[in-house]
Amino acid sequence: MTQFVRSAKQWYLIHEETVIGYLFLLPVAAILLVLVGYPGLVGIWYSLTNKMIGYTNPSFIGLRNYIELINDARLIQAIIRSLWFSFAAMVLKLVFGLLVALLINQRFPGRWFVRGAVLLPWAMPSIAAILIWAWMYNDLFGVFNFLLMEAGIVNVPINFLGDRRWVMPSIILLNLWRGFPFFTINLLAGLQAIPEELYEAARIDGASAFQNFLHITLPSLRTVILIICLLSFIWNANIFTDVWVLTRGGPGKASEVFSILTFKLAFQGLELGKAAAVPVLLMPFFSILIVFLNKAVSGEEV
Amino acid sequence: MGYKMRTKVFRGLNFLLLAIILILVLFPIYWMLVTAFKPKAELYRPDPTLWPSNPTYEAALHLFQRTPFFIQLRNSVLISASVTTIAIVASSLAGYSISRLHFPGRDFMASSIFFTYLIPGTMTLIPLYVFMSQLGLLNSLTCLVLSFLSFTVPYSTWMLKGYFTSIPMELEEAAMIDGCTRLGALAKVVFPLAAPGVAAVGVYTFTMSWNQYLLPMLFNNKEELWTMPVALAGWIYGDVFMWGEIMSGAIIMSFPVLLLYFLGQRFLVAGLTAGAVKG
Repeated sequence: MTQFVRSAKQWYLIHEETVIGYLFLLPVAAILLVLVGYPGLVGIWYSLTNKMIGYTNPSFIGLRNYIELINDARLIQAIIRSLWFSFAAMVLKLVFGLLVALLINQRFPGRWFVRGAVLLPWAMPSIAAILIWAWMYNDLFGVFNFLLMEAGIVNVPINFLGDRRWVMPSIILLNLWRGFPFFTINLLAGLQAIPEELYEAARIDGASAFQNFLHITLPSLRTVILIICLLSFIWNANIFTDVWVLTRGGPGKASEVFSILTFKLAFQGLELGKAAAVPVLLMPFFSILIVFLNKAVSGEEV
Repeated sequence: MGYKMRTKVFRGLNFLLLAIILILVLFPIYWMLVTAFKPKAELYRPDPTLWPSNPTYEAALHLFQRTPFFIQLRNSVLISASVTTIAIVASSLAGYSISRLHFPGRDFMASSIFFTYLIPGTMTLIPLYVFMSQLGLLNSLTCLVLSFLSFTVPYSTWMLKGYFTSIPMELEEAAMIDGCTRLGALAKVVFPLAAPGVAAVGVYTFTMSWNQYLLPMLFNNKEELWTMPVALAGWIYGDVFMWGEIMSGAIIMSFPVLLLYFLGQRFLVAGLTAGAVKG
């Protein structure tokens, strides 16, 4: 018996890292398995059936949901809308975020205040931000229309959220306001990590400020830019709340991004099977982006 | 223009630009504040005043007295606090495990956690809904706590893994050479050093739950089981204009979060960049 205890102790000492490693992982693994893994697999199964809300026995219908979706212009349009929305918002946030980061990176009195203030739109609850902008965009009493008309830029109030030409730009502008601080903070950290000697050497060589920016600043920020752009793109490609609260995907289908389409198919059309197929169709695309991002984050060359 | 003059003009332009940006960035927040304190008559007219001529808190009062706002506030607090507690305990352990220990399958687990953090939420939305309905949990606060864990836990684990990685391994090894067991070193050296990081991730996790809109909107259809985001957003489409009430609610919702960020700005921001950039 004592021999057994001793050898068990020895076994533990040798395998301690493995035992503690698995033990500590257990709660998270269980949560993810039950709340993400299992639902994910069930989602794939649903996508191959004609599951409806209220009917308990779905039957297997092969790839019919997928074929119907691919042949439906609505899905293609929603995906294209998601992609260009994510891309446009990403580019704007990068440009504006970098501009603000460069401005804050200078030494001036009250810098801490500006830094804190710039952080506010990002720190404040997203739903509060969305509601403020919904109110400012209001076609009857919104402050934007008032200011635009006061300035003589427009004569007739713009229906920002009800006009199919304005709805996506309006959502992008809100996204820019909410999201640029994340870019600024990360770029600022990146800027502060650039060794001062690089700029000094360039000054001796007689480089202009613009040349410095092009040949020192931008290359040094490469990895940071790649990571925040990918993160922003993935987040925005999944956007739901902003669009749902502001427009419900309307007017018509003018702001129907892919997650709104999924939600509507599932909970308004009641076709759970078909709706489940939409995110499954997009998984390969998201997977590639995530693998790419994972490599960038863990410091591998990409 | 001489060099000195040019620098001066350049700096002046910089400040001007910064001031304009600051106004643009802060205006929406200012607008939320003034809207909440305007009387109804001043709110609904095409030429809004930039400052309330008769400041009043009737909108907030209306919010408290005529709607179940306090119950919804309580729901939000209860859910966010429970989710944050569970997520932080579980993900501190897991974050330590995948950043410090070596065992087979570790890298696979780390990648899976990252993956589950970023996959579309719509992927699991429909099965989760059916799952909750089969368990009879729809229209309860329990189903919100459970389902919120599905997006907070991968996030907090990934962030905490970053924090643990940034603590030098040598400190832990030194403690173990001095006779600490691995768990002793963890409790006495690693966790105390990680405490600011854990607090920061706690704030992010709390904010994430506090903001969540889709799941409570879908899973609960009774007003008194809603969280604040669902309740406030619901009034946009009502028959009666409630913008004063909505903005009062938005202020109340923002207050705890902004306070947390203001108090912890230094280490919250450091944490954000460390976690996001260095992994």
